[in-house]
Amino acid sequence: MGTARPRSTSPVSHAVSDVRTDRDLKRVLRGEWRSWSGASCFVVERRQEPSARHGRDPVGTIAARFAEGSAGAALIAGGRPARPPFLFLDLETTGLSGGAGTHAFLVGCGWFDVNGAFVTRQFLLTRYADERELLAAVTEEIATVGALVSFNGKSFDAPVLETRYSFHRLEWIGASLPHIDVLHPARRFWGMRESCSLTVLESEILGARRVDDVPGFEIPGRYFQFVRSGDARPLVDVLEHNRLDLLSLAGLTARLLELVRLGPGSARDAGEALALGAVYARAGLPARAREAYTTAIAASTRLPAVRIEALRALAPLLRRDRRYDQAAACWQLLVSVRGCPAHIVREATEALAIHHEHRVRDFAAAKAFALRSLDAGEHARWTEAVRHRLARIQKKMGKSEVSGLKFDGESPQTPNLRLET
Amino acid sequence: MADLAALRSSVLAPRSGQDQALDAALERLAPGRLPDRPDTPDLHVTSVRRLPAQAAQCAPFPAGLDPRLLGALEARGVTRPYTHQAEAIAHALGGRHVVVTTPTASGKTLCYNAPVLNSILRDRSSRALYLFPTKALAQDQLAELQATCETIAAKAGEEIGVFTYDGDTPQDARRTIRGRAHVVLSNPDMVHAGILPHHPRWAKLFENLRYVIIDELHAYRGVFGSHLCNVLRRLGRICRHYGSSPVFVCSSATIANPRELAERLTEQSFEVVEESGAPRGEKCFVFVNPPVVNRQLGIRRSYLSETRRIASEFLKRGLQTIVFAQSRLSTEILTTYLKDDFAGIPGGPEPIRGYRGGYLPHRRREIEKGLRDGSVRGVVATNALELGIDIGALDVSVMAGYPGTIAATWQRAGRAGRRSGRSAAVMVASSAPLDQFVVRNPSYFFDASPEHALIDPDNLHILVDHVKCAAFELPFTTTEVFGKHDVQEILGALDEQGLVHLIDTQWAWTNESYPADAVSLRSVSSDNFVVVDTTDEARVIGETDFTSGPATLHPKAIYIVEGKPYQVERLDFEGRKAFVREIDCDYYTDAITYTKVTVLDTFANGSDTELRRSVLDTPECDGARASAAGVGPRGSNHGEVRVVSRVVGFKKIKFYTNENVGSGELDLPEQQMHTTSYWLTIPASVMGQLPLAPDDRRDGVVGLSFAMRQVAQLLLMCDRHDIGISIDSEPAPLSARIFIYDNYPGGIGFSEPLFRMHGELVTATRRLIAECECENGCPGCVGPIGSTGPLAKSAALRILDLLLADAAARCRVPGESRHGRAASRRRAPCWLLRRSPTRRASSIVTRKAA
Repeated sequence: MGTARPRSTSPVSHAVSDVRTDRDLKRVLRGEWRSWSGASCFVVERRQEPSARHGRDPVGTIAARFAEGSAGAALIAGGRPARPPFLFLDLETTGLSGGAGTHAFLVGCGWFDVNGAFVTRQFLLTRYADERELLAAVTEEIATVGALVSFNGKSFDAPVLETRYSFHRLEWIGASLPHIDVLHPARRFWGMRESCSLTVLESEILGARRVDDVPGFEIPGRYFQFVRSGDARPLVDVLEHNRLDLLSLAGLTARLLELVRLGPGSARDAGEALALGAVYARAGLPARAREAYTTAIAASTRLPAVRIEALRALAPLLRRDRRYDQAAACWQLLVSVRGCPAHIVREATEALAIHHEHRVRDFAAAKAFALRSLDAGEHARWTEAVRHRLARIQKKMGKSEVSGLKFDGESPQTPNLRLET
Repeated sequence: MADLAALRSSVLAPRSGQDQALDAALERLAPGRLPDRPDTPDLHVTSVRRLPAQAAQCAPFPAGLDPRLLGALEARGVTRPYTHQAEAIAHALGGRHVVVTTPTASGKTLCYNAPVLNSILRDRSSRALYLFPTKALAQDQLAELQATCETIAAKAGEEIGVFTYDGDTPQDARRTIRGRAHVVLSNPDMVHAGILPHHPRWAKLFENLRYVIIDELHAYRGVFGSHLCNVLRRLGRICRHYGSSPVFVCSSATIANPRELAERLTEQSFEVVEESGAPRGEKCFVFVNPPVVNRQLGIRRSYLSETRRIASEFLKRGLQTIVFAQSRLSTEILTTYLKDDFAGIPGGPEPIRGYRGGYLPHRRREIEKGLRDGSVRGVVATNALELGIDIGALDVSVMAGYPGTIAATWQRAGRAGRRSGRSAAVMVASSAPLDQFVVRNPSYFFDASPEHALIDPDNLHILVDHVKCAAFELPFTTTEVFGKHDVQEILGALDEQGLVHLIDTQWAWTNESYPADAVSLRSVSSDNFVVVDTTDEARVIGETDFTSGPATLHPKAIYIVEGKPYQVERLDFEGRKAFVREIDCDYYTDAITYTKVTVLDTFANGSDTELRRSVLDTPECDGARASAAGVGPRGSNHGEVRVVSRVVGFKKIKFYTNENVGSGELDLPEQQMHTTSYWLTIPASVMGQLPLAPDDRRDGVVGLSFAMRQVAQLLLMCDRHDIGISIDSEPAPLSARIFIYDNYPGGIGFSEPLFRMHGELVTATRRLIAECECENGCPGCVGPIGSTGPLAKSAALRILDLLLADAAARCRVPGESRHGRAASRRRAPCWLLRRSPTRRASSIVTRKAA
């Protein structure tokens, strides 16, 4: 994503009471004080060259993948327009509970530059009293971006920042920016895993491994250690952790965009194809959705949960496209999946009953499905509706001489049915 | 405002039929001409008082109210407010904090709704926060406020957003409410844990907060009040941060010190409006003492049976009646009795219902509605219905047992006769000493001022918790004050725990926790047990707080809901669940709890220099006088204790006859708490002087503790549940100790005043026992003879006499003083640093030295 980032002015000297601490800070964290129209803040900037690897791929490859796919960003942003430049955002905070006493002590920002390198700029709160300035600097940083990209940021990072801005009676301009929270599409695409945390995903999807990473629960403690002692060494690993989070976030986003761009052919498993179907369906692209679901069904013979979901999603798409027979075939497949939950069986058999009653006009089959749906349903209201249907079918059967003739082997054979036909 | 309209129309409605029925029932109870008779302490009915009707006194609305508001009020039938309403509104408009103490249904809601709505109509950005002690009360008020706002919207086109914001508010609605609410109805718990810690999200509210309304002010005493005071301190800090200074409008039931309570809670000075201008119907107040059935044993007829008989007299004449019981158990017993007497039509609505805490909300709402629409004819309730939940106007209030305080008694009596027309209140005394004192001395109740509501917001246990919350919300500055203690010292201690850190002139919060979550305003823990009925499909039928769980839900316990008995089959202590099954039985169970108290630290004892000095200051000093001056015999102590209690067994008690029909042993986990306690040490020398067998000496101590508890309750003006009692289990003839402890972890400030009133406590206890008419002890002094021994009364008296004689002797020989521990140690908060008490104590000391 080659974009011009807002350039901050040259390093400035900052009046800190403890000059030694300030010197240590610069030396230990390899950062500097910068100022943005009056607001100054301690900033650590790093650049990952295109040739450096993150997991299986070099950063340059990830950058290219991201750039090629970014036109489809709206699809994973839940339909909201998302335009470049994109800014990856990740906070480190003094707690997870939120509220006025939870501070964002590190605001990590990242982006791909024109050469395909990944640049991170981290704003560090060196003293609580400087929070207002930090926030003002961050405002300038994001003022020119087109969209924010985060991992769980809609539920955590954005509300925390919003609280900090409100605390200082400043405006959080992030609220008016499109925000892609990658956690939601990540859950959709990769949610079948035991965990959908960033670390699990970066290792499974990107093949990235971390060495000596700081566990998340240690992070607030390390910051408090710094606040109390002025010794910045405990923060070195925290900043590294944050940089890796940003890089993995970028990597995962790039992979998602690639999937959306290339379609089900690029899916590594049935789960990804299924998720693509849902993404396309939501974006109003039924043809691509049908293709994705079909891929998912084909690839999920041993994954009943994926298979059920794909069939269940594909059937109404086909029906809407007036491909009634194909839709019926989906429902037929659905009821034949072993372990299919009762409410879905009920739904499918009801759909099949409708299909046979109104489309095929095979009343015996319709009756058979209606009876089967009765077995699956328990609630009184449901039972009542089915009885209505049965009564109506019975009436039609009385009028029609051809009842049962169209009945074929695919329909369930029930003793009742045999007696009647 | 809604109930005002009803109130006025009913003045005209003929109620003579109802009045005649009431007269007939009272005639059965107390024959003869009703109005004012001299008190007759020895009779069955000891007192009948007639409280005359009062006509409405109205005044014009104060100038300056928005015409749109006046128009809406007029449309809702309010053209001229009562005098107290006009006065309160004028104060609130003038920016003066005001507390209104007028009876239930006198239209107090107008006192605050008018200024609040007025401020919003004048300035759309204005905001108001209403605090109610319970969620149910907030819901009650919501309906009324919304109705008024709809009238305003219809007539003037001004939309005013009124929302409740509490634990039941769905997450997705919260953001909308924060943005749109002009008036937020909430409770202290939600403000504490959900609003203040998130104040930046509520910036709009805090910037524009014009009014804070505190309804049912009297509910905030003891622990809850002490917490609320600190919550309001935190609210004040945040308002200052956002530049607002709201006006407080409070309403309270009748207590002795509404101004003092309001001022202590809010730390602002207040105007008081006390004279109600609302009309009142005539009310008869009757005191009943169940007749003695065995003079020798001092046994009276069961007050529950007596209550049942009296309530039946009213119920069978079609008078809607509320019966107040003292405990959950007696509520269920009375409900069972009255349901037996007044079975409804099969399949029809139940005419008699029970109502207590622990019922699920929908059941409660259903009962409240039944009371309002008249389908419920009688309700048996605990104090859960004492607060202003809208249950409409009832005809009669019958109290089974003295509610414990004058204020609560008036409050319960006020549940009858909200409309005009005649009503009655009957108090049936139990055999407890306090009840017997009140019923035999009616003027104590009718002529004395009601109790003072006490709070101790500077209880370190509570204060420190709120300092943490406050530090989380906004950093403290090095010059800031919070409460009476030196908050800078507390912050220093919190710094050592790593919670805050001083940077330049500010204490920054340096911890990842969310401190408000760890602080419950009501009790120690929000933990509870749920009761699961497994008779058919498993369903939850009730809940019980953690502390009383073992005593009410132990295996084989009979758990009663609205008179229907269930037996506990299994108690899952870890999972906090009790599994019960419906059962048909004619008994209930009463748990036997074993309590042991261990002294952790003695803060002060009766030979302290402080106390000595007051002895010397008392010129004439025989034992009684010294005691009356607050200087008692030796042996008083104050300190920190550990209370361990365990339910060890239970008794089966038959309904109606109260026969003990069986018992069982139990093995349940023990419960522990650290609290503060007063205790009396009876020295071995005194015990040794008793010419009695060890068992009889012990009976004397048990009897003495029984009587002391009652006197302590009277002296402290607290609820029965507020204090606990225990005696030392050391075998005679060694010394014995009687503990009277604060029944709350950390203590809530009862034991220290009790320690100071030690002399009074001992002499008053002696008077209570000596003046009792029974021969060998009765429930009115040292306890029923069955549970103490035959010599309990005389042994208890001998112990007291020996203690008092010793005190008198010491008074004549000054200079016997030993150096007690420094009084300041009383406050030594060894729990402050809960993780390591010893380190804490030393750290405070070093801090002081430095």
